[in-house]
Amino acid sequence: MALSVAGTFIPQQEVSLDFTQGLSPGLAYFLQTMQIFDLFHSVWFFLLMLLLFLNLVVCSINRWPLSWKKFRSDPIAAADDEGLFRELPENRVLWTSREMEEVSKKMEMLLRRKFRRVVKAASGSDRVILSGERGRYSRFAVYVVHLSVLILILGALIGAFWGWEGYVNIGEGEKADNVDLQGGRGTMPLPFAIRCDRFVVEFYDNGAPKTYRSDLTILRDDEAIYQGPLLVNHPISLEGLRIYQASYGLSPDIRASLTLSRGGEPPQKFSLGEGENFELPGGEGIVQLVSLEENLMQMGPAAKLLMRSGGKAKPFWVFQHIDRIREMNPGITEQVPMLNPARFHPYVFSLNGLEERYYTGLQVRRDPGAPLAGVAAVLMILGLAGTFFTSHRRVWIMVQRGGEKTKVGFASRSNKHPAVLQREVRRLMEQLRADMETEST
Amino acid sequence: MINTIILSGVTFVYFGAFVCYLFQMIFRKDLWGRGAFYITLAGLAAHSLGLLLRWRESYALSIGHVPLANFYESLIFFAWSVVLLFVMVEGRSKYRSLGVFVLPVPFLLMAFASLAPNVDSRIQPLVPALQSNWLTSHVLTCFMGYAAFTVAFAAGVMYFLRRYPRLRFLPADEILDELIYRHAALGFIFLTIGIVTGSVWAHYAWGSYWSWDPKETWSLITWLIYAVMLHARYVRGWRGNRMAVMAVIGFAAVLFTYLGVNYLPGLHTYLQS
Repeated sequence: MALSVAGTFIPQQEVSLDFTQGLSPGLAYFLQTMQIFDLFHSVWFFLLMLLLFLNLVVCSINRWPLSWKKFRSDPIAAADDEGLFRELPENRVLWTSREMEEVSKKMEMLLRRKFRRVVKAASGSDRVILSGERGRYSRFAVYVVHLSVLILILGALIGAFWGWEGYVNIGEGEKADNVDLQGGRGTMPLPFAIRCDRFVVEFYDNGAPKTYRSDLTILRDDEAIYQGPLLVNHPISLEGLRIYQASYGLSPDIRASLTLSRGGEPPQKFSLGEGENFELPGGEGIVQLVSLEENLMQMGPAAKLLMRSGGKAKPFWVFQHIDRIREMNPGITEQVPMLNPARFHPYVFSLNGLEERYYTGLQVRRDPGAPLAGVAAVLMILGLAGTFFTSHRRVWIMVQRGGEKTKVGFASRSNKHPAVLQREVRRLMEQLRADMETEST
Repeated sequence: MINTIILSGVTFVYFGAFVCYLFQMIFRKDLWGRGAFYITLAGLAAHSLGLLLRWRESYALSIGHVPLANFYESLIFFAWSVVLLFVMVEGRSKYRSLGVFVLPVPFLLMAFASLAPNVDSRIQPLVPALQSNWLTSHVLTCFMGYAAFTVAFAAGVMYFLRRYPRLRFLPADEILDELIYRHAALGFIFLTIGIVTGSVWAHYAWGSYWSWDPKETWSLITWLIYAVMLHARYVRGWRGNRMAVMAVIGFAAVLFTYLGVNYLPGLHTYLQS
C-alpha cells in the first residue's frame, strides 16, 4: 500500500522525464534502475502482488477446515458438544402445562416457517431437541471474495505478461499496420492495416470538445474487413485487439486543393503536397507544387507552382481569392504574368483552398487478462454481498418433560450479527407464549 | 439559474437542522430533535428538487445530462447522498445526536459548492470521455459509498467524545460500534461496486480497466484501509476504539481520494473545471 501511495506522489513514466532533469544524473540513474518512476510496472510491485496472492491462499487454507466443519456439523450433536442447554440463562426458558409432544410439534411448525433446515431428535424419552438452520452457505461467501482477488491478480499478471498497449498516429487518407509500444518498447505489427478515412472534431458553443470521431477502414490484404466510425467510449473490438480513440492533431504537411479547367471540358481536381507534381492532361508539361503560403502578402492562401515544359521551368502563383484580388487591383493579372492563373493557355488554375489534414491518435490494446478481471469483479460483488448480508443462523429448542410441566429452552448461534438472531429467538418465545399458557421461571 | 439558488438556500436549511440537533443534545428535549429531523427532511426535499431542476435545465440548454458531471455537481450530490443516508438511519433509530456529527459534512460541502470562487456552478456540456452510460452508475455508487463512510466517521467521532464523562449521554458504545461497522461494510460494498463500474468504464474509455491514475490508486488505498478494518473485526475481533480509529483514518483517505487527488496529475481531471 505504501508503494501505491508513493506511486501517486512520484511522477510516473512520461511525466517523470521533466522531473528527472532537475536531479543529479547519478541520483536519476539510481532511481531509474530501481524503477521508482514506473512503480506500478516494477519488479517489486509484481513481487508484492505475488506476496498478497500467497498470503490470501495461506489464510484461506488455514481457515477452511473450521468453516467446513461448521458447514457440515450435525446440529443436534453440536448442541451437545457446545453444551448449549447446560447453562441456559433464565430469560431463555419457558414453562408450560401442555404435553411435551404437543409443544414440540408446535415449535417444529414455528421453526419451519423461519428456517430452511429443521431437524428433530429425541434424546431419551423425556427430551426432544429441535434445531433450525439457515444460511449455511454464507460460510463460503468470504472464500468467494478471496477467490475473486486471486483471479483478479491472475488476470493482472496475464495482462502484464501477454498483453500490450500501443499508439499510432494516422493522417487522414493514410494507413498504418504497426503501432509503437508504450514506454518506447519498440513497435508491434498488427494483423491488419488501419486506414483513417476522416477525422472529425466538433465543439460546443463554449469551446469544449463535443465529439472526436475517426472514420476507419480496417484492411487485410487490401480488402476491407471492417468499416465504421470510432468514438471515445466506443472502442472497436477486432481479433482480440481493441482500438481506442486516444488523441488527434493537425498533420504538419498542408496540401493544396487545386482545380484545373480547360475550355469547355469538365474541370479536374488535384490534391498536392509540397514537392508533388502531376502531368497536364494534354501532355504539354508537368506541374509541381513548390510551396504553400497561408497568407501571402495579405492576399490570402496561395500556392506557388512550377510549370516544366520543353526544358523550361516557369514559376507562378495561384491565389484562392483571385476574384477579390482582381477587384481590388484591376488589371493586375495582365500586368504581372506570374500572378495570372490563365497564363498557360488553354489551362486555367484555381486554388480551392488549403487542406489542413487531421491525424487521429489511436490506442491499440491487447489484454488477455481482461475477461478474468471481469469474472473477478462479478465474484467479488456477489461474495461481498454474501459476506455482509447473509449469515449462518442456528436456533435450538429443547423441550423437556419436567414433572407436571414441560420446560422449553432456547439457544442460538450466528456467525455474524448475533443481535439480529436473538431478536428472532425472542419473537419465537413470544409466539409460544401467545399460543400456550406459559410462565417464566 | 434557479437550481443554484435553491441549492445555496438548502445550505442554510442544513445549518438550521444542525443547530436544532445541537439544542436537542444540550437541552435534552426531543421537541428539538423532532423539529431538526423535519427540517432535514425539508432540506432533502428542496435539495432533490434543486438537482431535478438542474437536470431539466441541462436539457433546456440542449446539453442534457445527469447533474453528476463536474466538481460543483459532485459536491452537491455528495451532500445529497450523506443527508439521504442520515435521514434513513435517524428515521429508523432515532439517534438524534448523530445529526450533530453528520450534518456538518453536507453543510460544509454545500457551502463550499456555493461559495468557493473556483467552483463553477454553471451547467457544462459533457466532453467526449464523459459521454457514457457508466457515468451515472459509477458516480452514484461511489458517492453512496462515501456517504456511508461519512456516517461511520461521525459515529467514530462520537465514540471518542463519549470517553468524556460529561458526554456519556451519547449512544452506548455497542450502538456506536455497530453503527461504525455497519456503515463501513455498506460503504465498502458501494466503493467496491464504484471501483468496478469505474473499471468497466475505463475499459471502454481509456483502453485499460486499470491505469494507476492517482484517483484509482487512492480509491484502492481507501478500499484496502476498510478491508483491513473489516478483516480485523472478523478475524481479530476488533471492537470499539480501534474500529473508531479506523473509521477516522478511512474517512481521511476518502477525502483525499475525493479532493486531494485533484492536485496530482492524472486522468480524472474533469473535476478541475
